[in-house]
Amino acid sequence: MSPYHLIDPTRLLVELSYTLIVVFICFSIYYKTREIYDLTKYEGIKYFRITFLFFGLAFLFRFLSVFVMLMGMTFDIDISRYIFRIFPLVFNGYFSTMGILSLTYSMIWKELQIKHVLILSNAVAIIISGITFFSRSSDLLIEAQAVLLIFTIIMAIYIYSRSRKISQLFILYFLFFLFWIVNLLALGPRRFIPFEIHTILEIISIAVIGIIYQKVSRWTK
Amino acid sequence: MDKIKRKRDRLEMIFDILNIIRNHHNSIKPTPLLRHSNLSSQSFSEYFNELLEKGLIKEITDENERKFLTLTDKGFRYLDKYKLILGFIEEFEL
Repeated sequence: MSPYHLIDPTRLLVELSYTLIVVFICFSIYYKTREIYDLTKYEGIKYFRITFLFFGLAFLFRFLSVFVMLMGMTFDIDISRYIFRIFPLVFNGYFSTMGILSLTYSMIWKELQIKHVLILSNAVAIIISGITFFSRSSDLLIEAQAVLLIFTIIMAIYIYSRSRKISQLFILYFLFFLFWIVNLLALGPRRFIPFEIHTILEIISIAVIGIIYQKVSRWTK
Repeated sequence: MDKIKRKRDRLEMIFDILNIIRNHHNSIKPTPLLRHSNLSSQSFSEYFNELLEKGLIKEITDENERKFLTLTDKGFRYLDKYKLILGFIEEFEL
């Protein structure tokens, strides 16, 4: 009897390609901004660049989660299945929360200088990944990050209300976070977004990160 | 808004100080540098220490035990990249 696998090769290939492209762009942004940060030690640049380090790692762990999910019946011992599924999700939750908080802080640090912001961000990220660990599902992770997204939007509106314009950057960041949450939906037990739609969303998401990369490249020659 | 201005000013002040050193053939004594920078001695002292700590300038002593300040490679790179740094901060509203 042949081994029973539920791997969908097309989906695996799409997810692998998507992950490789996004992780490459995220790490490139982190690497390209190294010199201007080393020269200035400017807080805004620091939080901006670590955002992409965290998101690069989050996308890697997201792929691991998708991979384990796609493997389906391959891990047929309950304990292995649980470990292989939950740990990528926990790290995914930690790194993406750190990424969201870092990008938010890079926008608001001039207005609200928070002491020990990295410790605070770590505490929030650990709580969210802890919730993911104990709930054993991505549902609460999605909900917690949706709350963070709302918090980010409120902060951005507060900042941008002074300049009375919605910048292109705000829209880019909003889309970046939104696509991240849509990406998380693919990990849930109720995958209600059809594969084709999800692939289109991934392509748009690459375009959004690509625009950010192109903007970074213009100033980091 | 004041905080933004202060931060911007800080990068600008560093640029100005480094530029003064470069314009003096990359060798200037601390006292004329203080005079040219138009800073109070307390502010100058803060910037001076910061520039040394960040490795943007270094102190050298000649055979007569006189101290001079010169730019390091990193200091030259700061001057070269300054406009790009400002552009980056502007572009991403950091």
